[in-house]
Amino acid sequence: MSLHKHSCLLVLAVFNIYPAVFGDGVNLAVSDPADKPRQTSSLSPAVVVNPPPDPLFSLNLLSSLPEDPEISDYCSELLHIFGQLYVDYVTCLVPAARPVKVCQNCYSSFGSLKNIYTNISSDQEGPGNVSCRDSLLRSDRLMLVYLMYSNLVGIWSKSACDNCITEGGQSLTNDTLFFLTTHNQTLTCFEKYKEGNHSQLCTNCKSPYKDLNELYSGMEKNQTLCIDIEDAMNMTRRLWSKYYNCSFPREETVPVIAVSSFMLFLPIIFYLSSFLHSEQKKRKLIHPKRAKSYASLMNIQDKLS
Amino acid sequence: MANITKKVSWSSRADESGATGEGTPLLNGSEQPRHSRQLSEGRSIFQIGRLSTVDLEEEITSDEDSLRGRPKEIPHNEKLLSLKFESLDYDNIENQLFLEEERRMSYMGFRCLEISRWVVCGLIGFLTGLIACFIDIVVEELAGIKYQVVKQNIEKFTEAGGLSISLILWAVFNSAFVMVGAIIVAYFEPIAAGSGIPQIKCYLNGIKIPRVVRLKTLVVKVCGVICSVVGGLAVGKEGPMIHSGAVVAAGVSQGRSTSLKRDFKIFEYFRRDTEKRDFVSAGAAAGVSAAFGAPVGGVLFSLEEGASFWNQMLTWRIFFASMISTFTLNFFLSIYHNKPGDLSSPGLINFGRFESDVRNFLCVFIFCFSPLSCAGGILGALFNVLNYWLTIFRIRYVHRPCLQVMEAMLVAAVTATVSFTMIYFSNDCQPLGPEHNEEYPLQLFCADGEYNSMATAFFNTPERSVRSLFHNQPGSYNPLTLGLFTLTYFFLACWTYGLAVSAGVFIPSLLIGAAWGRLFGILLASITSNATVSIWADPGKYALIGAAAQLGGIVRMTLSLTVIMVEATGNVTYGLPIMLVLMTAKIVGDYFVEGLYDIHIKLQSVPFLHWEAPATSHWLTAREVMSSPVTCLNRIEKVGTIVDVLSNTSTNHNGFPVVVQVAGSDEPAKLCGLILRSQLIVLLKHKVFVELARSRLNQRKLQLKDFRDAYPRFPPIQSIHVSQDERECMMDLTEFMNPTPYTVPQETSLPRVFKLFRALGLRHLVVVDDQNRVIGLVTRKDLARYHLGKHGLEELQLAHT
Repeated sequence: MSLHKHSCLLVLAVFNIYPAVFGDGVNLAVSDPADKPRQTSSLSPAVVVNPPPDPLFSLNLLSSLPEDPEISDYCSELLHIFGQLYVDYVTCLVPAARPVKVCQNCYSSFGSLKNIYTNISSDQEGPGNVSCRDSLLRSDRLMLVYLMYSNLVGIWSKSACDNCITEGGQSLTNDTLFFLTTHNQTLTCFEKYKEGNHSQLCTNCKSPYKDLNELYSGMEKNQTLCIDIEDAMNMTRRLWSKYYNCSFPREETVPVIAVSSFMLFLPIIFYLSSFLHSEQKKRKLIHPKRAKSYASLMNIQDKLS
Repeated sequence: MANITKKVSWSSRADESGATGEGTPLLNGSEQPRHSRQLSEGRSIFQIGRLSTVDLEEEITSDEDSLRGRPKEIPHNEKLLSLKFESLDYDNIENQLFLEEERRMSYMGFRCLEISRWVVCGLIGFLTGLIACFIDIVVEELAGIKYQVVKQNIEKFTEAGGLSISLILWAVFNSAFVMVGAIIVAYFEPIAAGSGIPQIKCYLNGIKIPRVVRLKTLVVKVCGVICSVVGGLAVGKEGPMIHSGAVVAAGVSQGRSTSLKRDFKIFEYFRRDTEKRDFVSAGAAAGVSAAFGAPVGGVLFSLEEGASFWNQMLTWRIFFASMISTFTLNFFLSIYHNKPGDLSSPGLINFGRFESDVRNFLCVFIFCFSPLSCAGGILGALFNVLNYWLTIFRIRYVHRPCLQVMEAMLVAAVTATVSFTMIYFSNDCQPLGPEHNEEYPLQLFCADGEYNSMATAFFNTPERSVRSLFHNQPGSYNPLTLGLFTLTYFFLACWTYGLAVSAGVFIPSLLIGAAWGRLFGILLASITSNATVSIWADPGKYALIGAAAQLGGIVRMTLSLTVIMVEATGNVTYGLPIMLVLMTAKIVGDYFVEGLYDIHIKLQSVPFLHWEAPATSHWLTAREVMSSPVTCLNRIEKVGTIVDVLSNTSTNHNGFPVVVQVAGSDEPAKLCGLILRSQLIVLLKHKVFVELARSRLNQRKLQLKDFRDAYPRFPPIQSIHVSQDERECMMDLTEFMNPTPYTVPQETSLPRVFKLFRALGLRHLVVVDDQNRVIGLVTRKDLARYHLGKHGLEELQLAHT
């Protein structure tokens, strides 16, 4: 992720000075017409949904390449490989959408995609002293390669697959494998007892389910969950509580009602007893000194004068 | 007119059978024949003829006492004025000492004073912010522990059976915390009970509430708030912040603590009521600002409550204190949350972000703000009425500390029980959100991976519940849950406010309002067609409007509350809707009953002066309003007389007009100044007698500093020993008295007197006749006793409380 962020920052920084450096009208004119149709297709990974434009898309790019003096053969080769791997990854993702297995199934293709993108975006110069970073990633406003890649990176990070993959990206972590095994055991158990009465299932599969649940909460605390595990757990839980109805029943209503009505009764006693037994607080009135009534004051003045 | 009061006093026995506890309506120009008149006439001549002679005073009181018989006792009610409250001395005493000091002070001295005022305000803001931060962190930690323990317990017993034990555990936890909070409040500092806003309102109004700005009060307040919030009561920690800020201000500005017996020898100039009160208003503002993250709201709160003593420089300084306070809180909380520099929690309560896209909201709002805000006003009035009756009952019957502690514990236990029962029987299950808005999700009988949505409302600190009502996705509460929650929480909050625990009413009101506001939003969305669903969506906004309406209906604050809400929302666009809602809620609510704080101020029998005199009081003149006869002192007075006057417990006067008798003539004495009890006590303590001055010529002259050192706890007269010889000495008050007290002629109308009194922050207003002879004295209690009731102008009675 840090790589992604880093490159993003770089791109942004360079993009700002771009008009000053590459501000020749030709370039803009070339990239502009290609802009509109692709923007729509590349915003979401809609490319995946309708494959027909895909070969057209690469063809189109390739055909226009020889006219572009800035693209070397090396870079176009890189771009081609990138396209292949991109397609591979996306083809892997789609069938893994439901039930979610995007991490388990596609981590290797994402790894290769990541590698090729790292190659493209590295500022090390390839053969012929050309850096493909500038020509492929930042030559136009659209920055298609970057945009497509960042879309996939978005999917990857949202699914939190990094939590289930080992550091190098070669395999699933041991935790994940262990979880999947336990999960399978639980499902096998469900499978075994699902005929007939569900209450039998509830008692017999309780221990594997409970183990699985505990394992899951442990992983939740360690933050080692990825979408595959979350989804598997969600499904199992739903099976357990909704489909097989193994949640806890509400069965101790009477004691709860008894205790709470006792508690609610206490304040009534309290207020009644304090009303009956506590002596009422009285206030002593004080008589302020006032001039005597107007009439008597008149009297005084009469008498004084 | 004064006859009306006499009626109550002299015919006490006949009156007892009648409607006691009701205010006596003033009968316009009453000329009813009364048997008392004959009694009074003879004596009044006697009295008024010898007005200025002091020693007559005791004679008269004893005389009157015998006439009155035993003092009349009535049950406590709202139509009383307590004797224990006095005014602050806001008026500057321009006596000779003061003038001398001013002469001595250099230009630099004044500049330094100005700078130190700023320093004090900065300190006030900083410390208030720190206290808010402390409260927040401790509450969060303790509540976290409590909810974790109870949650684990519930989880354990959901499986194994025996949930009633969890219920008892929860109730015991709550009661234990609340017991601690209630004990420290009830036994150590009863003034720290409640939100403290009424008390601070009174202080800013110019009333010296005993012990309200002591260090001990602050400690009890802070601990009490922590206990009651952790104890799960339906309370908030925001109101008490205002009180805490005020205490901090009063303490810091004095540069010493009388409770700790430490004097830092700084800020000595600020040791008088005038300066202290300015700082207290800054402290209250800093408290509001820390509580709601609303610095401007804080300034406006002080402005609204203490408006009569205001100037631009003070406003600017108060704003500074507010800003410092919210920034301090924000800064330290960001460190606590391990995100230093991410200043995202400017106040204790955080409404969270509201998007500013209110296009649809505004037009929808026009249609539905009136039912919402009317509901707010009506529910607020209901809340106030219920709380009023409850408070009366509490004052009359639940006045012993042990009973108060028990009551608080019971409320805590019942709160836990009710919450538990609601959660237990709730069938409303919601899936856990991806971002975990719920701090302590309770599963109970829900399917795995879901949580009980009633528990998000009850099993949580109220602040968090408010936030989740504002911001949770549409559909995360079902209407039945919200309805039940509103209903129970309304009664719980109403029952809780007024207990002997320190806790505020802001958050519960917001919570109630948010709940029914959201309910309204959900219902509205369900009855409108699907096509317009995007317009009616987002029940969070209705929750906000409902919260504003409910809060406005209960506390009835106007300007400051609007700004506080807008600032807490963090979006100025909501200003107009919130303002309209608050206005409507206030209008509707005022139709039924006053605001909650005003009710409590009245119930505490505080002589509170409102902005204006009662509307129909122009026919009352100063002569009817004033107290008379007045205990006056001669300019050169015998020490014995002064001591006697001061130690007279039946008349605990505070200011004495000083009169001068023209030598060699029998003309009545004329007013030449006013002297305060506190000054007299300092004079007696330093034995500033004429005879002693003659004998000891090298004696140090008394300075203003000596008066300030004794402030604010002047020793009682009993602690000053005056020997028999000294009683015969004379005291010259010329130097010390205020030579130019404010006076009014006796024909001045009540509103005129009121305006003068309120605007200048007076404590004593001398009523003189055309010969400049003292005929009466108007004090706060004389003015505050008139109020406009249902039957016209009514008069409150004075009482010992």
